[in-house]
Amino acid sequence: MQLSLTDQLQWIADSTSILVPELILVAGILSVILLNIFRVVHFRIYGAVAIASVTLSGLSVLLHWHTDPVSLFNHLLRADDFSSAYKLLFALGTLLTFLLSLSSGTSNKPAEYCSLLLTATLGANLLVMSTSFIMVILSLELISISTYVLAGFHFTKPGAEGSLKYFLFGSAATAIMIYGISLLFGLSGTLNFTSSEFVSHLIAQHSSLVMLSGFFILAGFLFKASAVPFHLWAPDVYEAAPLPVVAFLSVVPKLAGVAALLKFTLAINLFGQSFFDWQTVIAAVAILSIVVGNLSALAQKEAKRMMAYSSIAQAGFLMAAMAPLSLQSMQFMIFYSAVFLIMNFAVFTLLQQFETTYKTTSIHALAGLAKTALIPSVLLTMALIALTGLPPTAGFTAKLFVFSSIWEAFTGTGKSILLWLLLIGLLNTVISLFFYLKIPFYLFIRANTLTEPASAKSFTFTNLLGLVLVIALFVFFFYPALLMGWLNRINFVL
Amino acid sequence: MKHLLSLLIFVPVAAAFIGLLIPSTQKNTFRYITLSVSLIQFVLLVFVIADYQAAGTEFRLVEQTPWITLDLGAWGTLQSHYFVGLDGLSLPLVALSVFIMLIATLSSWNIDDKVKGYFTLLLILNGAIIGSFCSLDFLLFYVFFEFMLLPMYFLIGIWGGPKREYASIKFFLYTLLGSIFILMVMIGLYISVQDPSSSDQLIHTFSIMHMKKGHFIDGSILHPLATPSLGPFSFRGWAFLLVFFGFAIKLPVVPLHTWLPDAHVQAPTPISIILAALLLKVGAYGLARIVWPIFPDQVIYFHWMISFIAILSIIYGALNAMASKDLKILIAYSSVSHMGFVLLGLVSGTTEGISGAVYQMFSHGIISALLFALAGVLYDRTHDRLIINYSGLSSKMPVYFSFILIGFFASLGLPGFSGFIAEVMVFLGAFKSAGSNHLIPAWMAILSVSGLILGAAYYLWTIQRMFFGKFADKTNSALPDLDRRELLILIPLAIAAFVFGLFPQSLIDVINPFAKQLTDLFASLTNPY
Repeated sequence: MQLSLTDQLQWIADSTSILVPELILVAGILSVILLNIFRVVHFRIYGAVAIASVTLSGLSVLLHWHTDPVSLFNHLLRADDFSSAYKLLFALGTLLTFLLSLSSGTSNKPAEYCSLLLTATLGANLLVMSTSFIMVILSLELISISTYVLAGFHFTKPGAEGSLKYFLFGSAATAIMIYGISLLFGLSGTLNFTSSEFVSHLIAQHSSLVMLSGFFILAGFLFKASAVPFHLWAPDVYEAAPLPVVAFLSVVPKLAGVAALLKFTLAINLFGQSFFDWQTVIAAVAILSIVVGNLSALAQKEAKRMMAYSSIAQAGFLMAAMAPLSLQSMQFMIFYSAVFLIMNFAVFTLLQQFETTYKTTSIHALAGLAKTALIPSVLLTMALIALTGLPPTAGFTAKLFVFSSIWEAFTGTGKSILLWLLLIGLLNTVISLFFYLKIPFYLFIRANTLTEPASAKSFTFTNLLGLVLVIALFVFFFYPALLMGWLNRINFVL
Repeated sequence: MKHLLSLLIFVPVAAAFIGLLIPSTQKNTFRYITLSVSLIQFVLLVFVIADYQAAGTEFRLVEQTPWITLDLGAWGTLQSHYFVGLDGLSLPLVALSVFIMLIATLSSWNIDDKVKGYFTLLLILNGAIIGSFCSLDFLLFYVFFEFMLLPMYFLIGIWGGPKREYASIKFFLYTLLGSIFILMVMIGLYISVQDPSSSDQLIHTFSIMHMKKGHFIDGSILHPLATPSLGPFSFRGWAFLLVFFGFAIKLPVVPLHTWLPDAHVQAPTPISIILAALLLKVGAYGLARIVWPIFPDQVIYFHWMISFIAILSIIYGALNAMASKDLKILIAYSSVSHMGFVLLGLVSGTTEGISGAVYQMFSHGIISALLFALAGVLYDRTHDRLIINYSGLSSKMPVYFSFILIGFFASLGLPGFSGFIAEVMVFLGAFKSAGSNHLIPAWMAILSVSGLILGAAYYLWTIQRMFFGKFADKTNSALPDLDRRELLILIPLAIAAFVFGLFPQSLIDVINPFAKQLTDLFASLTNPY
């Protein structure tokens, strides 16, 4: 379909007005850079600008909620329920990241730091809206390149190592993905994977090339989601990067990757008419991620590294939430994503509290600290319990929903892989308890063998932030309808 | 009063939160808060029993309000209620909980380390235990059930003995594994069961009442008539196995019992008391409340396996108790043996057996509390529990010795004590079953009696080794006889063991309707004519 120039211009103008949340982010990025030109040095000023921009961006998502999908820029992007929900989560995640960064004090190169975080968020926003492979690559790279730099923001040797590993893995994953996209483009004749053309052409193709290119494209998404087998970068990056960046990495790009993966999987699965069973692939990757993540986390001695493996396993749970590929499961996946965001930020916020007070996040160094830092210890325990998925936290509710929809899908389809996913997912809850409990175990049960630790201030901003997040976990357990009632209205269109 | 059960459950939880506001230096305040909570619960219990006697329905003092209602579009509605109530199974256990928590509080009086944390956790545990005994909604039950784990983990892990770290995590992992099994079945059940009250809309419910009444959705895989199977068993079979072993870990049965000796030995005395008297009962309660009524067909199908596990627990537990060198391990294994009787009574599917099982839960709660309190008395004085290190204690501590006699004889099932009534009823049930519905093979029923003989053997041998002969104490500690606080703990327990041994009728009257109903359910399945 060829459009005239005026039509195209009109379309661009119309589309731009719908992109307000993203434009606000761009304005934020530009103003941070401008402030840098005027040699502003205070981190707080940059932080305030950045916070204002993500908050406004989130608000504008809420105000311009697109219940009816709107296609933008000649089918490059689409604003709809699903992407709006995720954009809201990204805004929340980035906001929390900035609050966490500000409470941790100064940052060298504050302008770069803030603008890169905003850029990554912009990329995440665009990724969940993408309907074209071109946009997928562009937005994925926008996230990647900003986060490569952020990963090394401690400017230490391990930081550089982590960042470089991340970069190499990321480039390889992107290259594989682009190769897959070029194959698929050749087979389907279109880059728009939500178009009927894409589906009808691929249904006709019974070539194993479709399967192969599908696998190649998965690489890019799985890398962002840090799911097995593209998870190897995570531990090194998490260990060496600044804590707020780790918190950000573990949530925003991951959720963006998983959300985009859902859209792509539904497309390549061709509404169940694909000759190759992509549901099995998703379930298998979910199982692998859960098992590998949890088993590797068992042996970790460093809290951030342990959380890296935990986030690999959680990526598996997010994919498990997606595996039934039904409308219901998609709503549960958004619920899980929201709860995961809260849990993970709660854990990192409280780890930050320990890091600023005691200058370490080694699990052994936490021994006996509950005596001097009782409030963060109790809150951290609650957040970890939520990650394990035990009541009375929203982590339990989220897992309950996910496993219900898997069970339901299993009864519907009778696919044994879904039963395995259910069994292995649940059994892994027991394994995960072992390492999640390690931190409370050292905090409360192991006595401190070293010198008397410095007493910590109880009433800090970080603790308050942690408290709010933990309370949110309780609230969503007792009243899941607060969130779920709203998610239920979300409709999904491919 | 309208919300008696809610008060009973949430008074301790509220007190725990109030306690958080008090500075941790006020050690005595925490002790008295916990004690007064227990006393308030005792008063409430009197009202509960009065109200219970007055009402005539199957479930009494019922409170039901919607908790989670989620409209899931085409998928129907997810519905969970805050639904509590008492029947002949739960009333004795709720009463036992209130009583034991009072005893445990008194027994905690000499805990002097991190008092605030200890009593806060104890209060939360209190609410969770009573909550799980009252819940009639599976999700609510599960939440209370899980909520017991964390306080217990910390109570063993922080205030326990030298190997507490290992014991606490082992306890947590075993029980969590069990609860994951239960969770799987819970999800399966709620997907398969509907609330029939609304005809135009599909309501998936967690209510145990609806599950029990068999309100299964046609074609769901846990439907009693569903045919799909996986490997050797149907889905119902698998679900039964999961939920059975989920609760059996908690009971515990051989071979899933290994967490119990570790947890008991390392736990401080009051926590041992709660663990033996109440937490094991939660496992048995789960079987009687959830597994038996919802999967009666599978109980019948797997009757041989269940009976065998019961016998194995009875005999293996007793043999282990005999070989134990440590007094607390001995009592722990005797618990395994005695909980085997509970399982045997339940699987008999007869009124005598099921009543006996519930009676045994109650009676073992009292007697095991007494035994662990006695073991704690000795440990407080010497910090040593090895049987071999003592002899002739009866001359040095005569009052203590007389309580030991009461505890041991009650536990081995001497007539006149509550344990005797319970075990006799279980035997009656087992033999009747062997003769009528054949759920328990005759040889197993006969073999189960050997549990009594072994019990007598290990207890009498222990008395002989520790209390008779020439006085010797290899730990060289001062051995004063019981003080007033210890008497205050031991006397009520000893009296209770006597009272329910001599006057069993009132308790049997409470239990009987429940046992009768469950028996009818089994009878309808075993005798189709």
